[in-house]
Amino acid sequence: MESVAPAAIARPRVETAAALPWYLTAMLAGSTSIVIGLLWDISWHMTIGRDTFWTPAHMAIYLGGVIAGLSCGALALKTTFAGTPAERTAAVGFWGFRAPLGAWVAIWGTFAMLTSAPFDDWWHSAYGLDVKILSPPHSLLGAGMITIQIGTMLMALALQNRAPAGEGRALGLAHLYSAGIVLLMATTLITEYSYPNYQHSGIFYKIACGVFPFSLVSIARSSRRRWAATTASAFYMLLACSMVWILPLFEAHPKLGPINTPVDHMVAPLFPLLLVIPAVAIDFFVQRREEKRAGWQDAVLIAVSFLGLFLAAQWFFSAFMLSPGAQNWFFAGDRIWEYTSRPGPWRHSFLWLDTNPLTLRALGIALVLAVLSSGLGLLRGAGLAKVQR
Amino acid sequence: MKGFFSRSLASLVLILLAAAPAGAHVGSPNVFYDGNAGPYPVRVIIRPPVVIPGLAEITVKLGETKASEVSVQPIQWKAGMKGAPPPDVAVPVPGAPGVWSAKLWFMRSSSYGVRVQVKGPAGPGQAVVPVTTVPMQVLGMEKGMGAILAALGLFLFAGAVTLVVSSVREGTLPPGEVPDEHRRRKARISGVLAAVLLAFLLWQGRIWWNNVNAEARQGLYTPFHIRTAVTMESQPVLTLAIADERTADWSPLMPDHGKLMHLFLIREPGLDAFAHLHPVRQTQDDFRAALPPLPAGRYRLYADVVYESGFPQTLVDTVTIPEGTGPQVATAIAPDPDDSWHVAEPLTAPAAAGPKIAKLEGGGTMLWNQEPLVANRETTLRFETRDAEGHPLPLEPYMGMLSHAVITRDDGKVFIHLHPMGTINMAAQESFEKKVGMEEMPAMDHASMPGMNRGPSVLSFPYEFPQPGRYRLWVQVKSEGQVRTGVFDAAVGKAGK
Repeated sequence: MESVAPAAIARPRVETAAALPWYLTAMLAGSTSIVIGLLWDISWHMTIGRDTFWTPAHMAIYLGGVIAGLSCGALALKTTFAGTPAERTAAVGFWGFRAPLGAWVAIWGTFAMLTSAPFDDWWHSAYGLDVKILSPPHSLLGAGMITIQIGTMLMALALQNRAPAGEGRALGLAHLYSAGIVLLMATTLITEYSYPNYQHSGIFYKIACGVFPFSLVSIARSSRRRWAATTASAFYMLLACSMVWILPLFEAHPKLGPINTPVDHMVAPLFPLLLVIPAVAIDFFVQRREEKRAGWQDAVLIAVSFLGLFLAAQWFFSAFMLSPGAQNWFFAGDRIWEYTSRPGPWRHSFLWLDTNPLTLRALGIALVLAVLSSGLGLLRGAGLAKVQR
Repeated sequence: MKGFFSRSLASLVLILLAAAPAGAHVGSPNVFYDGNAGPYPVRVIIRPPVVIPGLAEITVKLGETKASEVSVQPIQWKAGMKGAPPPDVAVPVPGAPGVWSAKLWFMRSSSYGVRVQVKGPAGPGQAVVPVTTVPMQVLGMEKGMGAILAALGLFLFAGAVTLVVSSVREGTLPPGEVPDEHRRRKARISGVLAAVLLAFLLWQGRIWWNNVNAEARQGLYTPFHIRTAVTMESQPVLTLAIADERTADWSPLMPDHGKLMHLFLIREPGLDAFAHLHPVRQTQDDFRAALPPLPAGRYRLYADVVYESGFPQTLVDTVTIPEGTGPQVATAIAPDPDDSWHVAEPLTAPAAAGPKIAKLEGGGTMLWNQEPLVANRETTLRFETRDAEGHPLPLEPYMGMLSHAVITRDDGKVFIHLHPMGTINMAAQESFEKKVGMEEMPAMDHASMPGMNRGPSVLSFPYEFPQPGRYRLWVQVKSEGQVRTGVFDAAVGKAGK
């Protein structure tokens, strides 16, 4: 004990490899609850249809927000009014209060989520229940959720960055786990474009190239771990697969009509994108540049490899997903259709081939987006690597 | 979110109601049905949602029947029983014996049949009540709500800007270090940039919201456009053309009470002259009717039609009838034998509640014991017909019904054609009955159904006046082969007064 005590005084215990601070654990739990709730809620809408504010899926979402918000609020109060000088100087100021940056980000996210609730309620009464999923109140809710998850990531990052080299393994993993949640949020937000049926069209690759290089590169660049983007992608796939496998275990029936597809179990989310494949390449390039300052030529290199690998992976994987081979519990290729969807051969065909084909021009646009996205990811990652508080 | 909310404060203070007619009525969307669910007499009231998808409120009144379960189920026209969700169980209303209540989601702009199932001492029974669900209004934001959201939006905006300022100022600073002036300035500049970026995003959000609002307004239901005219050929003829490109996507018309169209003419402003005609279709969308001898003037025209999808519409226009359309020798178009018309005194300030007597053509009277009428409060309009000697007037079915009534408000913003069985469209009901497998039932004689005829020569109509104001009612019955029209005026008060 005597040998441990001086180290604990010199450095907060939270920065050791063994443990995560309680508030980070709470934020990780809150973030997980939010993303599980979100996928559950989407499945709920696709299976049961009828919904109130008090569905368990909504409760999971809001509970996650409240857990993160309250934990961070408590942390802010403690740091401001009862924090040690070390804690207070490792925090940032916000309207006279002090707390780590990640806590403030998460608190903002919680308020955004809570604000979206009455706004959404009014929206339903004015324009009908979820006429379109993407609405201003839902965008605010989505922004709140993703902000909490970014706050969690920032909290883990700051703690990781303050830990001495060689330590902070758990913090590094916590950062990558929260990054995996952010990836799951991002893929969920673009679900309407990422059905396997759309993965031979141009729009899918344009959107993917805009979103994922930024996320994956900034994760790889900001983490201390060597295979950071790969690990975060693996967390993403694991979380998504868990929902793909667990949700359809539960029996459920539509409570709204018209019912065009008789559904008897919870509809599965989409099988995750194979982000882990381009993530390996991204980690590889970022590792090579670790000591040097990354430039735009790196962004181009990363973009080309992202597009090449992602295209190759999804092009063939989507064909498999539409085939009978994917119609099982593991891939859930045939368990993703909501009760309102009309069955037909289109479910096993590639769509948008005429309206949005994957032409050379579309590929060119996707590549430009990937370069921009990678470049911004490098910049953002470099910035995040410096976060201290 | 500031932009959203400042917009809400600026422009959404008022409740913006579009006076959108929907279904076979104008401004009177609530559905009333008096009939039977198997062995049980029922009154079903459906208050459809004003936005789609939305929740309808359903009340089932069973009177003396002690039911063990009442359920309601929406049957959408296209999906039928196969695509219908499971029934929703209604709950008894505390303190109101025999009254059951349920809320039902309607997800589409469509015609639906609400299947009401009753389980009681005499076994199960069911009725189908047709209803059309269309977006009828875009609700504005109330002041209090707008203020709360605006405050929260402002809080979030300020919070987001502060987040950027704090993170740039101190986020990457090792613990213990104090930000220098350079960092502070950088943080302030970042804050300004963040505020500009957020303002831009909010501005985009505002455009988005405006577009949603405009789209919602555009999507509000309006009946098909029609063109009407009175032409003087060998006889005065009323022509009506459905001139709307939306007809291409609609199913064909189907007859209701044996007629493709029930057309009503009501003279402005006194509502004194009234006609109930049945134009005959000439081509797909063109109708003609021989015009009865009506006094000249400007008339409101309401044409009730129903489509095979079970969707009824009241097509609305105004038409001017010139002088000299008195009795003519009809040659080109024979008037429909069920056409009727009536000229009465103009609408004046209606007397308060109490007994009112209207004189009928061919002698006889119609008595209305008018109860005090209040807007948005369910009522039963009861009429008693007597012959010239004061004896009950024996009634015959008029187009299959014991009676047809028309109710309109003095400004024309409310119009409804109803029957003793309520406001529902019978043809729509029959087609939904087939959908739920009730076609095997013996053909119903609607003129002798309970709830329609509460005794010889007595009529009753379930209804709810949707708005306060001055109303005129025309109640039409047939006796000794002659259509007789009782005309009544009524004042409807505001709820809560």
